[in-house]
Amino acid sequence: MGFTPSINRGGLRERLSRELFAAWAIAKKDVSIYYLKPPVIVSGMLFPLFMFLAFAVGRPGGPSVLIPGLIAVTILFSASSVEPVSIPIERRTKTYDRLLSAPISMNAVVFGESLSGFLYSIGIAFIVLIAGLLIFRPPLVSAIPLVLGMLLTSFCFATMGTLFAAYPTESPGDIVSMLNLVRFPLIFISGIFIPLESIPAIGQIVAFFSPLTYGNDLIEAAFRGETHFTLLVNVAMLCIFILIFQVVANQLYKKFAQ
Amino acid sequence: MQAIEVSHLVKKFGPLTAVNDISFSVGVGETFGFLGPNGAGKTTTIRILTGISRPTSGTATIFGHDITRDTIAARQSMGIVSETSNVYVDMTAWQNMMFSAELYHVGRRERERKATELLSLFGLYDRRHSIARGFSKGMMRRLTLAMGLVNSPRLLFLDEPTSGLDVQSNLIIREVITDLIREEVTIFLTTHNIEEANVMCDRVAIIDKGYVAAIDAPERLKKTIQSVQSIEFSFDRSSPTQMDELRQIPMVNELRKEGDKFKLYTENPSAVIDGVMAYAHARNVRVISITTLGPSLEDVFIKLTGLQRSGGGVHAID
Repeated sequence: MGFTPSINRGGLRERLSRELFAAWAIAKKDVSIYYLKPPVIVSGMLFPLFMFLAFAVGRPGGPSVLIPGLIAVTILFSASSVEPVSIPIERRTKTYDRLLSAPISMNAVVFGESLSGFLYSIGIAFIVLIAGLLIFRPPLVSAIPLVLGMLLTSFCFATMGTLFAAYPTESPGDIVSMLNLVRFPLIFISGIFIPLESIPAIGQIVAFFSPLTYGNDLIEAAFRGETHFTLLVNVAMLCIFILIFQVVANQLYKKFAQ
Repeated sequence: MQAIEVSHLVKKFGPLTAVNDISFSVGVGETFGFLGPNGAGKTTTIRILTGISRPTSGTATIFGHDITRDTIAARQSMGIVSETSNVYVDMTAWQNMMFSAELYHVGRRERERKATELLSLFGLYDRRHSIARGFSKGMMRRLTLAMGLVNSPRLLFLDEPTSGLDVQSNLIIREVITDLIREEVTIFLTTHNIEEANVMCDRVAIIDKGYVAAIDAPERLKKTIQSVQSIEFSFDRSSPTQMDELRQIPMVNELRKEGDKFKLYTENPSAVIDGVMAYAHARNVRVISITTLGPSLEDVFIKLTGLQRSGGGVHAID
């Protein structure tokens, strides 16, 4: 017996419309409630700034290296900072049950939650980008990889945040702690502050399994004009990671709802 | 077609069987009470019926839609009011209503009309732009109920709707529920307030330790234990030894003090009345009132669930 919710009437188009409508409602709700919560501000804005200052200041490399690095780190932390706070709080206040019992699929819930992290991240990364461009005036070679990199990386890490938030706890701290075990190492193996060519061979292999590697490569390409991987590989890998995170998150939320 | 049809439902959590092969149905427009002590399996059953939890075996359908396989269609026709007032306290009453309606894909014009109607009905319209954090417990409860009705459900799950509320909120909520019953909305009511179930429900199911102990109309259930009758007395004065003395009267099975009244349970009311009158005469106290009572739904509940009374309340036998 399967447990995949379905709609018998209305067809695929109506179903999709319902799911997107509900996902957008969930994202709007998160925007209005959680964006200014202190843990989200600390994790989404202050963390990346201090991480950047700690590791980038004084190192060699001009603005065309530092600005992409700052944008990538900002996206990593900000995109994955909303759901690890919002979902445990909603479990505690039982408002999470509203999402579980609504006439929508778990995929729509996961997508809606990720959407709020994505919008938050894009907003902050955009401010960082504009400030970086105005202050340091790095040469912007191509906007296409920048836009693709920012959008896909933001959505990828927002979905990762939603995935971690599936862990059935009512304490945001539990999830943020687990998330940091993954987020911090990602910075060092993804070619942000240390070029991929310069890290040991084992590190280069591990870097293939980090979505940040591909996101950072795209964002850097916008300023350097060249990619380590191709643009297509970077986009494809980020899409694959998004899909994996979405599918795994969907399964975990269903499992833990039991 | 029934509103709810449950067939041989089982839910296990490891070695624990929370719901053990229960079957029942709820007709369209029926008000159905689901009673049971804590840990009896009520919440587990509701979580299965609302599609949150998956049964280990058995089936449940909502208006013909299998809740496991056709979850979304089944949920579309239901409203859920959980025991906790689960409103978003950082949003206004209006935003809460809009969000609930959007989850159910209610169109903009309809959700604004419905929100206006419901917030007015629950006496919250003037506070619609207030953040819910500042609401009293009763207002939160009313908002929760309003949110549960925003999609005009044909079936409403009501979990402890009036528990611990102020008189005003209690009256408003009961009035709205009465209107819903009149409009033939099917209501699945879970409550600890047995008198509430007695007054409101067409039928009640009593669940205990995962089993359904009985399902019937409240009056028919009471008839099953006619042997349990009680007589309520009040006297013009009391003494510290009164309880012990009344307990000595022949044929009294059980004695409870309720306010200024004594409730004596017996299978032979006339013998107990004679005994009490003799006691009053001997102690020189005057009987102010005597009321003979049949078994209450609470008596049925206690008998079927094996709970026992303690003072003025009821507690579980360990």
